[in-house]
Amino acid sequence: MEFGSSVLEELSIAGDTAHISDQCFNILVTHACQGLLAASNRDDIANDTSFKDTDKGSLKSAYSGLVTLITEATKWDAEPSSIGAVLEECKFTIDRINSFNNIYLAKKPLIQILLGSIGKSPPHIVDVDWRLDYYIKNNHLDKVNQPVYLITLKTEIPGNSELQEIQFSCSMEQLQDLVGKLKDSTKCLEKIGQM
Amino acid sequence: MEEVDNIIIHSLRSIGCELDDELTNLKQFSTEVIVATIVKCIKFIKNEVELPSTLPPGMSARFRIGASLANHIQDMGYNGEIGYQTFLYSNETEIRKVFMFLVEKLPKDTTQTSDEPIGASVLLQRAIAAKLHQQMTSPWTPHYLKDRGITWRGKPPSWQREGAACMYNYNSQHLSRPEGLTDLTRKIPKEIRNYYSTSLPFVTNQCRHHRDTFASVIESNTAEVAKQQEWENEWNHSGLASRLSKQEFIDKKKSKIQKMIADRLRQDAKRDSSGTSSLSDLQQVMAAISSRAKTDARTKGSRFAHSEKLLFSKDEDASLAQMSGEIPTKDTEEEQQRKREEEMQSLRDELGELTSKLESLELEIKKFSATQQQLEESINTENRQIDDKESSYNVKKKTMDLLPDAENNIVKLQGVVETSTQRLVTLANKWETHRAPLIQQYRELKSLTSQKESEAQKKLAEIRAFREKMKEVADEVRYKEDLQKQLQSEYERMAKDVNRSAYTRKILEIVANIKKQKQEIDKVLVDTKLIQKEINSLSGKLDRTFTVTDELIFRDAKKDEAVKKAYRFLAALHENCELLISTVEETGVIMREIRDLEDQIENESGKKVLANLEKITQDYQEMKKENSVLMSKLKQKQ
Repeated sequence: MEFGSSVLEELSIAGDTAHISDQCFNILVTHACQGLLAASNRDDIANDTSFKDTDKGSLKSAYSGLVTLITEATKWDAEPSSIGAVLEECKFTIDRINSFNNIYLAKKPLIQILLGSIGKSPPHIVDVDWRLDYYIKNNHLDKVNQPVYLITLKTEIPGNSELQEIQFSCSMEQLQDLVGKLKDSTKCLEKIGQM
Repeated sequence: MEEVDNIIIHSLRSIGCELDDELTNLKQFSTEVIVATIVKCIKFIKNEVELPSTLPPGMSARFRIGASLANHIQDMGYNGEIGYQTFLYSNETEIRKVFMFLVEKLPKDTTQTSDEPIGASVLLQRAIAAKLHQQMTSPWTPHYLKDRGITWRGKPPSWQREGAACMYNYNSQHLSRPEGLTDLTRKIPKEIRNYYSTSLPFVTNQCRHHRDTFASVIESNTAEVAKQQEWENEWNHSGLASRLSKQEFIDKKKSKIQKMIADRLRQDAKRDSSGTSSLSDLQQVMAAISSRAKTDARTKGSRFAHSEKLLFSKDEDASLAQMSGEIPTKDTEEEQQRKREEEMQSLRDELGELTSKLESLELEIKKFSATQQQLEESINTENRQIDDKESSYNVKKKTMDLLPDAENNIVKLQGVVETSTQRLVTLANKWETHRAPLIQQYRELKSLTSQKESEAQKKLAEIRAFREKMKEVADEVRYKEDLQKQLQSEYERMAKDVNRSAYTRKILEIVANIKKQKQEIDKVLVDTKLIQKEINSLSGKLDRTFTVTDELIFRDAKKDEAVKKAYRFLAALHENCELLISTVEETGVIMREIRDLEDQIENESGKKVLANLEKITQDYQEMKKENSVLMSKLKQKQ
């Protein structure tokens, strides 16, 4: 976890009682978490009346410092102790460090999920529909009598709220092969999971 | 023995034997439990062993199981006596021995504690495994129950992401934030301050899409960190050696880079002969870069003028077009079209002419400026020639003036020459006197500077060494912190394993107990030794006193009858006493024997001989019954 000097400067503004008072600090940290988490809360801090007496310039500075700290700490999955070390360098009091950690740790899993969802992903299968048809005959053969499975895989695609469908038909052997492969992969995952 | 039993039962439970909670020692183990646990142990030690885990009802089958269990255990290297009877007709001590052996043989890797710290990758793999396990065990849910793939579940419940619906691409934007608020030495213009406090949006509100905030924040921080590192590296490598201040170094580098770019551009422009116009443009740009601050206003002005010109020319064109368009013509559409085309053509031609003219004019201007430069240079040279000539003319004129009175003038001139040479000599002397101390001073200063330089060099080397040391120490600190974190997590994981500490505590207690007992035994030994010594000394004393009195009385006994009697009594007394002592010793021996026998009885009774005998007779009866049943079956078949 490394920070540029400007970020450290901003953090030291956040830790300075001359700029941010004690009762404002908790609200500021909460807003920093919320502002990162939800688009609806992104500008809440601007409308908060508890910062009436705070200089807006330093408030913005402190806010951006805290936002950077939260993002980086989540990115590195930092322990509270190492966050505390960074904050101590920025002359935070122990009370402030503790209250920051309390507020942040409660929100950390959610921020982690949001950070984790940056990236690319192949289509993700979430559901499956199937139908068993019985193929009786065709114009060449009077008697075929084979089962045909019609499989519809439903997939999620990043950035698309609707489910996409992938449809294919297969014979019984092919389906068995597919199921065998799926079972193999499940077993493999289970093996990893039991380490 | 209770401790041992506890440990055995604990380890049996830890390998997955299902034992009742009430079982606290091995005495309470029934035959079924014993067989089941021993089978489990053997399976745990040797993986590929086929043994039934429950006792079959048939007597012969039981016998066979007992025998095979005994075989397996002997194969593992058990030294004591063992057979089917050990399991089927158990006695506590033997079973305990077997269990102790088996528990020792249990593979240790389940409770193994590695001495080396576990690497970060292993920790990561563990975390991945735990997460996978959690997700594998949670049941399937339809997608419409999740909010874009995010659910709140698990044990303990936590937020987790499933599926790909909420994924989005990494997309970052520039974030602007207030700068230099803490630096009191730097003045921030009022307007910028005003902008910071009123207009600048908060960081989370700057991106077009809110979800890009994370990427932007990460990128801005990483960019700054990378920049700092790069700068640090450069400053360490070449910056310190150049012995300039930071600002100077930066300025120097800036000018160097600008020069390099300018050179490159010039070269390219030369190579690309067709791009004359682009050359001038680029040169303009270069000029703008190199003196941005100074010429900002000017370039702006010129640009403005340029655009103005463009506007005007457009206007003129437009008005021209309008004028031409206003001429009323009642021709057909085609004619109009044709006319328009013609007009267009003519205008185009005109434009071409004009541009070519413009180009030629530009060329001319260039030529003119070149000729102007040449002319200026020639003027300069001419001027210089004029000056030379004037001075030579002056000299000549003077000599001409002196010519009429030649002799006098020559004498005068010689005098002047002499005085001037004398002056020169005196000046040279003076110069010498001045020069010596100056040269000395110069030398001193030079040596001083060289000293200073070498000192500076030394200091530089020191600084570099310090920086390297700093880096090393920082690296070490980071490494140690990582190690500490790993060990911490390791320790946290270990702390769950209580039984290890419990074991050590118990072992320590036992050791303390043994120490105490040993001390007591030692005390008793010392006591007995003391008593033995006393007894020995007393018996010696007794012997001696007896012989002395014996002699005394014997001597007197010849003379006196009464003393004779006394002597006889003494002998009797002595004999009786000896008898008494021997009886006491005998009782002691007997008592010891009794105790031994009692111990033996206890031992024997602990072997449950009676119960086992009853069991054996029962089993015998059963065997007989089975045999008879089999016989009858055989007969029926025959």
